[in-house]
Amino acid sequence: MAEREPVIGIDLGTTNSVVATVQSGAPLVIRGRSGSNLMPSVIALARSGKLLVGQIAKRQAITNPTDTVYASKRLIGRKFSSQQMQEALKGLPYVIEPGEHDDIKVKLGDKQYSLPELSGLVLRELKLDAEAHFGRTVKKAIITVPAYFNDGQRQATKDAGRIAGLEVLRIINEPTAAALAYGFGKNINGKIAVFDLGGGTFDISVMEIGNGVFDVIATGGDTFLGGEDFDNAVIEWLAADFEKEHGITLKKDRMALQRLKDAAEKAKIELSTARETQVNLPFISTPTGGGSALHLQKTLTRDKLEQLTATLVERTITLCEQVLTEAKVKPVDLREMILVGGMTRMPRVQESVKAYFRRDPCKGVHPEEVVALGAAVQAEALTNEASDVVLLDVTPQSLGVAIAGGYVRRLIPKNTTVPTSVTEVFNTSRDNQTTVKIMVLQGESDVAHQNELLGEFILTGLRLAKRGEVEIDVIFDINSEGLVSVAARDRETGQQQSIQVTASGGLTQDELKKILEDQADLMLEARVEEEVKTKRLELKSLMNEVGELMPQLQQATQGSEFGQDALGKALKALEQARLAGESAELKKVTDSIDTLTRTVSLFRGVLQRIGR
Amino acid sequence: MAVEEKVDLDDVRKEEILALDAKVASNNLFEFLGVPSGASADEVRAAFREASRKFHPDKYFGKNLGSFRGKLDRIFKRLVEANQTLSDPEKREVYLAANPFVRAAARATTNTNAAFKPEARTETEEARDSERRQRLARHPYLAKATKVQEYLSKAKEHVGRQEYSQAVTHLNNAAQIDPLHAEVKAMMIEVRKGADLVRSESSFKHALEALNRGDEELALQALKTAVNANPLNFKAAHKTSMLLERRGDAREAASFALKAVEAAPRNVEFRVHLARLLGEAGMKAMAKKHFDEAVRIDPDHPEVKKHGKKLWPF
Repeated sequence: MAEREPVIGIDLGTTNSVVATVQSGAPLVIRGRSGSNLMPSVIALARSGKLLVGQIAKRQAITNPTDTVYASKRLIGRKFSSQQMQEALKGLPYVIEPGEHDDIKVKLGDKQYSLPELSGLVLRELKLDAEAHFGRTVKKAIITVPAYFNDGQRQATKDAGRIAGLEVLRIINEPTAAALAYGFGKNINGKIAVFDLGGGTFDISVMEIGNGVFDVIATGGDTFLGGEDFDNAVIEWLAADFEKEHGITLKKDRMALQRLKDAAEKAKIELSTARETQVNLPFISTPTGGGSALHLQKTLTRDKLEQLTATLVERTITLCEQVLTEAKVKPVDLREMILVGGMTRMPRVQESVKAYFRRDPCKGVHPEEVVALGAAVQAEALTNEASDVVLLDVTPQSLGVAIAGGYVRRLIPKNTTVPTSVTEVFNTSRDNQTTVKIMVLQGESDVAHQNELLGEFILTGLRLAKRGEVEIDVIFDINSEGLVSVAARDRETGQQQSIQVTASGGLTQDELKKILEDQADLMLEARVEEEVKTKRLELKSLMNEVGELMPQLQQATQGSEFGQDALGKALKALEQARLAGESAELKKVTDSIDTLTRTVSLFRGVLQRIGR
Repeated sequence: MAVEEKVDLDDVRKEEILALDAKVASNNLFEFLGVPSGASADEVRAAFREASRKFHPDKYFGKNLGSFRGKLDRIFKRLVEANQTLSDPEKREVYLAANPFVRAAARATTNTNAAFKPEARTETEEARDSERRQRLARHPYLAKATKVQEYLSKAKEHVGRQEYSQAVTHLNNAAQIDPLHAEVKAMMIEVRKGADLVRSESSFKHALEALNRGDEELALQALKTAVNANPLNFKAAHKTSMLLERRGDAREAASFALKAVEAAPRNVEFRVHLARLLGEAGMKAMAKKHFDEAVRIDPDHPEVKKHGKKLWPF
């Protein structure tokens, strides 16, 4: 038997990304071609016009602040006009513009990039790393997202995978992936909590493991709480101090901002081991009225950092309390507590977590690699029959539809195991209402507009009737990846309408298609041989089918003019197909497949009508 | 036939999927999860996890399942619903209120009549309450309601003593005064179920007596009545199955054996019996499944050991 096709797990992080796989029964991180396990999730456009990804992009960030994109995960699948976004925009050195659908575009040079495209570049780099490792093409992957990501963010991440030329088997949640890696190969029974404080997002999940079943009981988090916010707190402090001293707002200067960011991150990391550190930024600014250049030189102590970020740490603990309450679990009931994400290296975070959970966190996992390892474990579980792992994940946020009066009718509460579906009957709210607009919402508020709008669609052609007399079934469905689809049906007429809820802040089908087409020639090149091979097989089976159908048709249409004509054409098509099969030219083969498919369906139709 | 469809599943799994899919529309979520009616939230959750090891769609990722894919999805979503409903106290209560039959079955298995037990109250509370009731009862508009309440409380007393036929009389009286009274209607259903349970027990007794007298025909009839009145009367179901087998009616014997197993899923003896009957009827895969289950529950059970050699290997 041929060796199994390699599958990979990818942790697409805010600051760093990791790719892993399962080899000889054990999960392992694939080291990048640059020699490091972690690849910075940074993309840059160099002066030469070349796109840079990873370590090389990060290294040139200071000299090229406006054309270097970092933390793009914070923007993916979001709406440009949302308040959170407007807040975030203020602190970014690179240029962001609104897209056609209130989505976000990043401007690099004179070209606009969508977020899935940028994340796609990072994923493509990881794919290449994996291909270098295996020495063959890698297509199948699982990508992780924060558990608290909503439908739009998940869709956009999946799009990114497709743009990178990956077949995304599944989107899974980061804390769940961490638990999978933690529980891999051990016989663990009991409840655990995963505390995942990464570069951009925070997740807390409580789950129960038993007999290879990973059952998530409750999950919660904040997609705007992570290492970036810790950095920003330090930047604020440095910039405010500088402004007081020199009257210059450093944050307006993109180059200075990028240097501040770099220094803040470095200082924060150093303070995880040292008690104090120096921030040294010579020639950070030149006064407008002339005069000598100014330098920024400050001492940052661990106490000061903790003071600056105290509210952030508090927020994580508040969310822990919430989720544990929802899970009806007390800290003492937990068997283990797993820390995930680079930010959990900060001593203050560890102390707070320890104090709340009243136990030492699990030492056996690598906080930055565990998520990718878990993704690899799940990829293996899906593609390998022998695997005994079952993942019961939940939907992180409630789903509902907007109802008359601006309220929400919740159909699927949060922490419901997925896949799941629910049908609910709604009525018209006015006399002679012939159309209903169905707005799909995700969130916990009872007031419609305080939730995230996933999408909306309109069901038309309802019969004329008094209010409340027309009944409409609304069917919600959430699949194993947390992706939502909704259908609505008029009970009386059976008229149906359905949508795969597309992220209203992300890409439309057409846009995605266009991006895929733009890159089609690039992707085709790498796999053309393999594709021809599979297409030829397809062609061959079609030829056989036509061959089998021909005698039947001949008998059925004996002598008729139509029969003669059709058979003549079919023979010609078969001859062409034979030639195409020999030629090994993709275009010819696919053309022949099209012709033969039409022939087969025509023959079938004729035979069916005659009653065979 | 669906079992013959060529897909990436073995026969046992196919049969399991078909069997469970047939139950998707059933209202009894306990039964669907394969737990005794009235099982605790922990039992429900454990059963759900166990079932998800078999029926989670991910277990068949990328496989060709044909028509089984849709069935599997349907089953898993229903399992999620059952787990979500029965492991949350609030949702469970709403569900039980909407399905009085399930509630009655749950009561029968857990043997509690909690809903009918009056709460302990202090004497002063009691005295004040009764005075208020009497005062209100004299009001002409309330006379009707009071009368209904009287009948209701009498009916409750009888239910407490398990005298269901008397309870039915009182409830009928109450229903005549106020046919739309919700509590009366609800209690009527409860009481009928209760009466069924009692009838089932007494029919079973009659059957045993008839058997002792050697009157198999009468015994069989009484046993069937017992099973019909209370499908969870596993003793009756098992006895019926044994009797039918002795009389040479293997097919019907198997169907009653199945009822016994469904009513008492952890009884090894019943399972082995069912497995044997199924095996004889040529349903090898189902037979194997039930025998395996019996072995899983108690590998050292004498019945398992006795029949192990005969039934194994399939």
